[in-house]
Amino acid sequence: MARHSSAACAALTLLMLATSVPALAGKANDTLVYASDTEPENVSPYHNSAREGVILARNVWDTLIYRDPKTGTYQPMLATAWKWVDPVTLELTLREGVSFHNGDAFGADDVAFTFNYVLTPEARTVTKQNVDWMKSTEVVDARTVRIHLKTAFPAALEYLAGPTPIFPAAYFKTVGLDGFAKAPVGTGPYRITAVENGRGVKMERFAKYWPGSPIGSPKIGKLEFRVIPDADSRMAELVTGGIDWIWRVPSDQADQLKAAPNVTVLSAETMRVGFLQFDTLGRATANSPLKDVRVRQAISYAIDRKAMVDNLVRGGSRVMNAACFIDQFGCTDEGVPRFAYDPAKAKALLKEAGYPDGFEIDLGAYRERDYAEAVIGYLRAVGIKVRLNYLRYAALRDLIRGGKVSIAFQTWGSFSVLDVSAFTGVYFRGGDEDLTKDPETIAALQAGDGATDPAVRKVKYAEALKRIAGQAYALPMFSYSTNYAFTSDLAFTAQPDELPRFYAAQWK
Amino acid sequence: MTLQPSASPLAAGLPETPATLPVDGPAPPSTARSPTVLALRRGLHHGGFLIGAGILGIILLCALAAPLIAPHDPYAQDVSRRLIPPIWQQKGTWDHVLGTDKLGRDYLSRLIYGSQISLLIGIAAAAISGVIGTTLGLCAGYFGGKVDAVVSYVVTTRLAMPVVLVALAMASLVGGSLKVVVLVLGFLLWDRFAVVTRAATRQIRDQDFIAAARATGFSPARILFQEVLPNILNALIVVATLEMAHAILLEAALSFLGLGVQPPLPSWGLMIAEGKPYMFFQPWVITIPGVALLVLVLAINLLGDGIRDVTAPEGRR
Repeated sequence: MARHSSAACAALTLLMLATSVPALAGKANDTLVYASDTEPENVSPYHNSAREGVILARNVWDTLIYRDPKTGTYQPMLATAWKWVDPVTLELTLREGVSFHNGDAFGADDVAFTFNYVLTPEARTVTKQNVDWMKSTEVVDARTVRIHLKTAFPAALEYLAGPTPIFPAAYFKTVGLDGFAKAPVGTGPYRITAVENGRGVKMERFAKYWPGSPIGSPKIGKLEFRVIPDADSRMAELVTGGIDWIWRVPSDQADQLKAAPNVTVLSAETMRVGFLQFDTLGRATANSPLKDVRVRQAISYAIDRKAMVDNLVRGGSRVMNAACFIDQFGCTDEGVPRFAYDPAKAKALLKEAGYPDGFEIDLGAYRERDYAEAVIGYLRAVGIKVRLNYLRYAALRDLIRGGKVSIAFQTWGSFSVLDVSAFTGVYFRGGDEDLTKDPETIAALQAGDGATDPAVRKVKYAEALKRIAGQAYALPMFSYSTNYAFTSDLAFTAQPDELPRFYAAQWK
Repeated sequence: MTLQPSASPLAAGLPETPATLPVDGPAPPSTARSPTVLALRRGLHHGGFLIGAGILGIILLCALAAPLIAPHDPYAQDVSRRLIPPIWQQKGTWDHVLGTDKLGRDYLSRLIYGSQISLLIGIAAAAISGVIGTTLGLCAGYFGGKVDAVVSYVVTTRLAMPVVLVALAMASLVGGSLKVVVLVLGFLLWDRFAVVTRAATRQIRDQDFIAAARATGFSPARILFQEVLPNILNALIVVATLEMAHAILLEAALSFLGLGVQPPLPSWGLMIAEGKPYMFFQPWVITIPGVALLVLVLAINLLGDGIRDVTAPEGRR
């Protein structure tokens, strides 16, 4: 091991020599620079589905309700109180004395405008699944709003505590979406000072952030998000002090980075779940073998998910048997059919389905290529030859929506919403990305989403999850882990919801 | 237009009998002083030729006998045995002499099978581009005039296209695969063949033995493929080795960019691409296929240089 770390140190020293950039980040400048691979297509939180956008949203905008990540309880944020008038009407009392970054006072108009605007077709909202439970929002008086729901939706509070930030109505109406994307304004702990396309986003502490916020006031003066697509460059920049914080470091490199001076490495499970989605309707190829449930089951038996978790993903990741993250409300793997690694059984099933010599098929993937290649290797061992189609996320998502992918290696972080509807609602309830459109599953999920009794919801979701696994519409693989690496000057804690909370970080 | 006789050069060019004609320049091959024997004798004293031929021979043998000599199945993955270092490092084992890759596949076996792909692409691409380039060059050089002008225009057009860019565009349009890479490279790398063939043909087209063949009433196709071609073959072999090395490197570049051959095929370029994330801490993952590629390309170039030297010693500096 000693030899290993000395080699690592030598490599890192070389790196430092090779890229000696003047350090602009760090404690000395009170500027926390964090880097990630993807640039959100639009900074407006309703107009991108990238995780980087979700992170910006949580640091720049406030939501009506706050869910404490430790206790899981809902606490007042922009709304001080809320009550259900009836199952489809939620009344919220709003906080006084909150102002937007541009000085506008926050009020009922802003809430009503934001929610009504994102439901209009002209808004071209990308994150539809997060808002389409609302029918309309009505201003009762300056401090009170009523949200009218389409049908009963008990998970509403969870969505109001997450992917539904509030925009300033007057400002947005003046500048429009394009202007807003260039100079966004919110009420959150950080204020965006510059949006630089292709480079990142610069933020600074909002001096007039309302006191008493459950997330507290930020400790670090300036925050900067930088887009660096290449993983090796991110690592090199961190080691040389050009940036302070990176994540999604592959486990192999994370082990080695621990040897680097001044770098802290943190590994944690996230609620992102990887899964294989099958083209069960045979839209991608005529006579797709995937129409046969036995073939889908064979694929499920052929992949050693446990070995992948233990050796490839690591860092607290777990095998998932149900198509959701196990800590989400309503997600359960009790009674859900499981597919333990059994290549012999997979071969037998393939033979039974009429494919004794296997077949050729395509697989689309966009994240960790290693995981996709491991899946390809396992399938090859039972005779299925897979062509890998490795793309960027937006491109793959469009292909999947167009029905042009046979097997999709998907991952989903549920927008950090701790309710199973945020997962199943996207992939199995008949939407664009539902490749199955199974009436039985859709009915069970709709019943679960609409039931007000938590016990009934659980039963309905369990029914749907059993159906999905039994028919092998998708193969849930594992929860992801993320390795964070950051400068040792920084005190940072990670949460499983994959949301780095920079407003809570501080210099040591 | 004199293009007509060469319209079906291949069909017409197949000789009925491979008899050496009296008009042919070199002496009959039966004597001990035949150019082949002379060249071989010179080759045995040429260091570069020997080294190049030796290395290429070994790699060729590896490629042909891969199933016999590879210690493991190159596709068999075992993620619990991933990233085992090679034997010369502390934790290396004799079970995996060159270690294992990120999915636990035996690196030596993948390297051996990878030589098949590199050689296949090199030879196939050189063969396709050789046929295209030589045919164009022969016609241009022999007929001259309008034919030459047209061919020169086509060559100039081809030279104006950046090979890597066109190959990338093609591969991303139709999707990368072994077949696509071979075809794209084959149809892109013929320019040097055409230029060299054209120049060499112009040099000998007015010589006496060609004039004699023409006077005897041979068809242009027969003259081109039976009289001209054998006499410029040496130069073409040198170009072929160059293009082979070129194609192998381009395949590696395309695969490195993710648009060449697709995983899990063990291409050396792909292995280098897959080793890139490990460059800082497990450098052998990227070094081993990199060195293999370097050695192969070096061997082919040495061999090409050697062939030129031993077949045309007068051209040696």
